Amino acid sequence: MDKQDGNGKIGAVLVVGGGIGGIQAALDLAESGYYVYLVEKSPSIGGIMAQLDKTFPTNDCSMCILSPKLVEAGRHLNIQLITNAELEEVSGEEGRFRVKILRRPRYIDIEKCTGCGLCAQSDFSNLKEREEEIWVDRIVIDEAKCIQCGECTLACLEENNENHAITNIVFERRKLTELPPEQREGREPETLAQRVALMDEESRKEFWQRELSRCIKCFGCRDICPVWIYDGAELEDAEWIKPGEIPPAVPLFQIIRAYRIASLCVNCGMCEEACPMDIPLRTIHQLMWRQTPESVFEVLPGLDTETKERLIRRVKEKPMVKTEIKK
Amino acid sequence: MNSDFVLTVCPFCGCGCQFYVQVMDGEVTGVVPCKTDEMSEGKPCIKGRNATDFINHPDRLKSPLVKRNGKFEPISWDEALGIVSRRLSEIKQKHGPDSIGILSSAKCTNEENFLLMKFARAVIGTNNIDHCARLCHASTVVGLVKAFGSGAMTNSVPEIEGADCIFVIGSNTMEQHPLISLRVLRAKAKGAKLIVADPRRTPLVDFADVYLQHRPGTDVCLLNGIMNLILSLNLANNDFIAQRTEGFEELKKKIEEYPPEKVSRITGVDVVALEKAARFYGEAEKASILYAMGITQHTTGTENVLSVANLAMLTGNVGRESTGVNPLRGQNNVQGACDMGALPDVYSGYQRVKDKEARAKFEKAWGVKLPQEPGLTVTEMTDSAINGSLKAMYIMGENPALSDPDINHLKKALSSLDFLVAQDIFLSEAAQFAHVVLPACSFAEKEGTFTATDRRVQRIRKAIEPIGDSQPDWIIVSELARRIGGIQFNYTSPREIMEEIASLTPSYAGISYERLDNGRTLAWPCLSEEHPGTRFLHKDGFTRGKGRFFAIDYREPAELPDNEYPFILTTGRLMFQYHTGTMTRRIPALERELPTGFVEINPEDARKLSISQGERVKVKSRRGEIEIKAYITEEILQGVVFIPFHFAECPANELTSRNLDPEAKIPEFKVCAVKIYKG
Repeated sequence: MDKQDGNGKIGAVLVVGGGIGGIQAALDLAESGYYVYLVEKSPSIGGIMAQLDKTFPTNDCSMCILSPKLVEAGRHLNIQLITNAELEEVSGEEGRFRVKILRRPRYIDIEKCTGCGLCAQSDFSNLKEREEEIWVDRIVIDEAKCIQCGECTLACLEENNENHAITNIVFERRKLTELPPEQREGREPETLAQRVALMDEESRKEFWQRELSRCIKCFGCRDICPVWIYDGAELEDAEWIKPGEIPPAVPLFQIIRAYRIASLCVNCGMCEEACPMDIPLRTIHQLMWRQTPESVFEVLPGLDTETKERLIRRVKEKPMVKTEIKK
Repeated sequence: MNSDFVLTVCPFCGCGCQFYVQVMDGEVTGVVPCKTDEMSEGKPCIKGRNATDFINHPDRLKSPLVKRNGKFEPISWDEALGIVSRRLSEIKQKHGPDSIGILSSAKCTNEENFLLMKFARAVIGTNNIDHCARLCHASTVVGLVKAFGSGAMTNSVPEIEGADCIFVIGSNTMEQHPLISLRVLRAKAKGAKLIVADPRRTPLVDFADVYLQHRPGTDVCLLNGIMNLILSLNLANNDFIAQRTEGFEELKKKIEEYPPEKVSRITGVDVVALEKAARFYGEAEKASILYAMGITQHTTGTENVLSVANLAMLTGNVGRESTGVNPLRGQNNVQGACDMGALPDVYSGYQRVKDKEARAKFEKAWGVKLPQEPGLTVTEMTDSAINGSLKAMYIMGENPALSDPDINHLKKALSSLDFLVAQDIFLSEAAQFAHVVLPACSFAEKEGTFTATDRRVQRIRKAIEPIGDSQPDWIIVSELARRIGGIQFNYTSPREIMEEIASLTPSYAGISYERLDNGRTLAWPCLSEEHPGTRFLHKDGFTRGKGRFFAIDYREPAELPDNEYPFILTTGRLMFQYHTGTMTRRIPALERELPTGFVEINPEDARKLSISQGERVKVKSRRGEIEIKAYITEEILQGVVFIPFHFAECPANELTSRNLDPEAKIPEFKVCAVKIYKG
């Protein structure tokens, strides 16, 4: 922090946190002639205020207050934004601090990004229904949620050609499939969840049909599940799943099971480990994690409309969590 | 609170999955999968997952019972054993030792089977000892001993994953051996070809590359047809045939009589499918055959097994990894019960009763004279009981009153006995005929070893104290033996019995409890303490020297449909129940899935008889009649019906015939003629 400016003032200032408070502090300091590093944990500055409607006590529109400041902070010559980053350690003394900052990958080159927004609208993103479940934004790819299907990369590539901004590793992986086999060695192949996510409707249907028809109805996936807190529910109800039939109704059996734990699944993968038939059950949950339960039915196709409606009705009538908890 | 996890082995099918039994304050609470187990990999099937639910069932026998005035009354152990020892000694003295028949159990441990075998031969002095292997794989033991010299599964289960072609014939692997079908499907995922031959469209058929739906009882013809095609396509392994086998010329002449067109006409399988199957099997570098009851339970059972062995030797698919002829044994310890000599003609390790040296060895070890002539089989005991030459029977852990063919005949036999002892954990259908019932322990209450289908010996461990007054079978048998005057029955634990087994049985010589600790397993032959066990048999040479081809002619099943009885009945098992259901019908999770039996019938046949789905119909054969629910399905051929034999309320075995395979004495469960009508 050795910035010095003409006013004779020495040093620069580090502001931690890019909410409205941090932004205002940074602006004030910058106006007084300090050079400001504004560190923010999330991919963009703005914080909570951007999510509020009105502010106390004047009932002013919060965005009307915030957005001019966002623009100003972004353009100010004395402010350097360090987003998607966290302060790790501080050493030194007053007037001469040294700090260590961890910057997380954004997978998007912001120098190149034109803000076209096509990535966020790419095919796979469209499957989502709840807005808060966005996992590809034009400013960042959320590591925790991304299954690396590569659709956003393709969208970016299509729009911006050579100058594409998304540097998702998926881009590399997808190129892999075009390489001759001997050159692929040592590089990471596509994961199953990626493959399934990218399948067209027909082959996805075929895929699940093939995998799920191995089921021998051992109930292992259900019995071992740490978040299965219901009784047998529909899985032991002859109206839904015929007793004694192998394989049990494909794919209704797995849909009901997946639906029941949709909001609770922690993706631990025990269901897949318990399966004596090696069915890739975890993939269902990896896909489910980013989908509302209704849209899961599109991911696991093969269900006729009537059954689907019946199921949705049934689930909506009944509370998700039963009062009786399995012993 | 005290909690514990005890490693043990599943008491159901022959896969032999190990798992932990969870114990809380001396009570079994459930099953915990064992991830390090090679067989299950921590993924037991539904029966395994619920395997402990019957242990605390209120129906468990808690004290010895004696029948007085047609009613069972509880008595003390001392009294009960007194009655049994007195009556058995009386009968032995009056009618000779061969008037007593003993049934051992494929559900009991190796030690208990060995002990009961010793009890029969050394104490009673009869070779009339047999068990339910007679009803499942007797023809395998006879057939494979003739062809190879050893009657067990040639390869181990995990090897199946590496095969290039898997030929499944007469086995509903997915339902009966789920963990073996996992290996089949893994092999298939790696690119192996799967051929399934079965008159019934089993769940595995959905994954098959070729499906041969042949008529029940035409297996020899089908296999001869495939061999014919292999020869004409020049896919036979001539080096293997020349170096390691004998009798090929005869076989060649015989199978030339089975051109594909003729085979197609007899079996109902079209020529294209046959040729595809022959190509897949013949061209594969490593081809494995899996078979089960569909091959063995015929009057031509031994011949079927020999044909299977012919096919494997013709293409050189024996004695290498991931190949072989693999009979899938049904019960958790049916392999072990056979190994232990609970059979009328052999001692443990298949040492022949007729062999003087073997007999001398056992006589020396046990210090008594042993009978010389092979005894009666299960199926022969029934007839002897009816004609009066068999006076008493001792049944340990078996339920012939549901599992044997023509059970009306069997029930007549049981009720005409002077004295019947049943030793069981529940009052089974057979036990109800008994004069004295002795309560035994379940697998969780005793120590011992089980031998799984691929010759893998594994330990079971005591998790809880015996329920009520029940006792482990080995204690009951040794106490009884002592009372009748047996010497050398002073065992303090099954470990000592295993030491005796190892000293008398070459193939078990290197097996000891120490080597089986911590979930380790050993596959016999294990010839010395350093021997690592044997994964696959016949590596450098067949057990009998050279593999022997047998020229087999197709014979029709003993009872074919006619005008009066127009349908072929074939019987079998289903995923959610196990055998006679003594245990599984007391497990709620399984009983919920499959509460009762049904008769599977083709839609076309149902239409002709105007039977609708779920309607109650009567099925009648020359021997009996049952009422049962109809289940109309495309899965079965026209003219064929299928009934599972688990259910006492609609017992398929009231219909089946007592026609036996002449060599193996196995009854023909898979084919008999029935008629169906609305009652």
